[in-house]
Amino acid sequence: MTPRLTGSRVAVVSGKGGVGKTTVAAALALASSRSGKRTLLMEVEGRQGIAPVFGHHAIGYQEHRLAPNLLGVSVEPDDALVDYLQLFYGIRRIGRVLAGTKAIEFATNTAPGLRDILLIGKAKEAERRREEGAYTFDHIVIDAPPTGRLPRFLGAPRAIADLVSGGPIRQQAQGVLDMVHDPKRLQVVLVAQPEDMPVRETEEAAENLRKMEIALGPVVVNGIWPEAPDLGGDPASALGSAAARLGLGEEAIARLSAVAAAHARRVAHQREAVAGLRRGIDLPMATLPFLFTPQIARAELEELASILAGSEAF
Amino acid sequence: MPSRRQPPPRSLDDLLRRHVIVCTGSGGVGKTTTSAALALRAADAGQRAIVCTIDPARRLAQSLGLDELDNSPRQVPDSAFGGDPPRGELWAMMLDMKTTFDDMILDLTTPERARAIFENPFYKHVSSTLAGTQEYMAMEKLWELHEEGRWELIVIDTPPTRSALDFLDAPRRLTDFLEGRLLKLLLWPTIAAGRGYLRALSFGTQVMLKTVTRVTGSELFADVASFFAAFEGMYGSFKARAERVKELLVAPRTAFVVVATPHEAMLREARYFAERLAEEHAPLGAVIVNRAHSVPSAPGLEDPLATEARTSDPALAWALRTYASWRELSLREDSLVCSVLGDIGRAPLWRVPDFAEEVHDIPALRRVAEALAGS
Repeated sequence: MTPRLTGSRVAVVSGKGGVGKTTVAAALALASSRSGKRTLLMEVEGRQGIAPVFGHHAIGYQEHRLAPNLLGVSVEPDDALVDYLQLFYGIRRIGRVLAGTKAIEFATNTAPGLRDILLIGKAKEAERRREEGAYTFDHIVIDAPPTGRLPRFLGAPRAIADLVSGGPIRQQAQGVLDMVHDPKRLQVVLVAQPEDMPVRETEEAAENLRKMEIALGPVVVNGIWPEAPDLGGDPASALGSAAARLGLGEEAIARLSAVAAAHARRVAHQREAVAGLRRGIDLPMATLPFLFTPQIARAELEELASILAGSEAF
Repeated sequence: MPSRRQPPPRSLDDLLRRHVIVCTGSGGVGKTTTSAALALRAADAGQRAIVCTIDPARRLAQSLGLDELDNSPRQVPDSAFGGDPPRGELWAMMLDMKTTFDDMILDLTTPERARAIFENPFYKHVSSTLAGTQEYMAMEKLWELHEEGRWELIVIDTPPTRSALDFLDAPRRLTDFLEGRLLKLLLWPTIAAGRGYLRALSFGTQVMLKTVTRVTGSELFADVASFFAAFEGMYGSFKARAERVKELLVAPRTAFVVVATPHEAMLREARYFAERLAEEHAPLGAVIVNRAHSVPSAPGLEDPLATEARTSDPALAWALRTYASWRELSLREDSLVCSVLGDIGRAPLWRVPDFAEEVHDIPALRRVAEALAGS
């Protein structure tokens, strides 16, 4: 059986800043594409975070092949607006006409929520896109804004619908609203780290999303440290005699003990945080290991994708 | 203005002799913690220091033992210091964007006009969601704190977005925005109906205006127009304020601190911030890399995995394997920091170790400051 990965066509991946949201989104998309699903990985904050993990320099507004069955795209609100106007009004030359005027910057920055709705609107367009009678994509994974900005991002269609009572923008907002609130079409995958603050922020985000009636998929706890044996309160004495037998000196024993103690503290802290998250959140949970590298490249991504694909949470 | 530039600080305490420190960086790198640690260190050294954060999670409030941080400065009570109060004074506040925006408008216009602005539905959205508002309000608050003249050191946190540095060219942006052609047209009440006027405009402007109206709907358009009409007369003051703030930001006694963690994406963001500061002639005081895994070597630990093969003690074997992983991580982080940030200028680079525990009280903030000082 191929893994479902998420129960919805669109997975919105979010989390506190720095928890590895982009890595998880990329791994999820890769796992999905490897199971044979045509997948689109979409970045919406223009940070070019996706490109480096796939070994590309940059990806743009044109859908770009990242792996078999996997396309990537970096959506900018300006491009999305031009796209939208062309799609909606069939004004072919509009891109050229508007280029260089302040209109787009004004429109996307000033009209409340317009920026966000253009970005999610683009996801909706991809989600509904059909080729030869079938959906173009089975899965769309969005590397979404961090949890602090997520309610505003996903709430944009509602805000626009409240502010504008008619016209094409209202129609567009309604279309996006339908997708955002349909659990079969869209779910949010929250990414946490096994630490107090990210756990608390994940719980808050889950509560906010529930209030907004937006469906939640599994939670991914990223960066789980390998377990540590109990060395008692004093690693130096636990390790000392065996280390001395190997001929290790005082300095080496001190270094080893310091790392052992730091690791044990980390693991104890992690245990509490994960238990807290399990208590605080009633959602399936997948875990990803801490990788002892500051750089996530294709090899690490493949490893993480395999773990997600094998996880019962997905 | 290069002649006004100061050389970068030689040490943490040198940095803390500046009057304004602006902390920038991506979300999740520990910017708020760093800001608080800097202000605390200055207070410990006898200064009257204030930290202004905009973090909505109110982490700083917890760190500083305050029940609430609101838009007004509060002195951190002695009880928060666990029997070891600073020689100087530590103050803290959390920026409330909406209140700051409201106060600024009250300050700049008549009560009637202010009321008209507050009641405009567009303003209600704009004052909290308009891109750049947060940055602008942070700088407005910085100016107010500076004007009050009560603090020797002001440490200010910035929003965790790339646009956080947009305030550096706020004077130009505001000028473009407020004096822009589009805006003049918006304020031109006859525009919607006046086809005669439209004909006088360039083709591009016509298309643009029509589409803006079509896309946003006429109501929103009307709200926007009346919003800007209500703002008329304040543009000059806005611009003047932005210019004063810019002056303060590039003044010799100001320094920017870029905060990062040793991950590729975060370091690249730090580099982006540093380059952006250089473009705007804003003084980079230091780059701080939080949560670094600095694991030194020692005689006998050159090849920990080979050593591990020689022991039958499970605890020692585990410790050697773990040491090997951490040491490898430490080396990779160092080389990544050098390759991404190696050539960003003369500002010092300080590392704060990963404490493996969260920093949310005064003793922990003091450990952060200590690590910075010894870095």
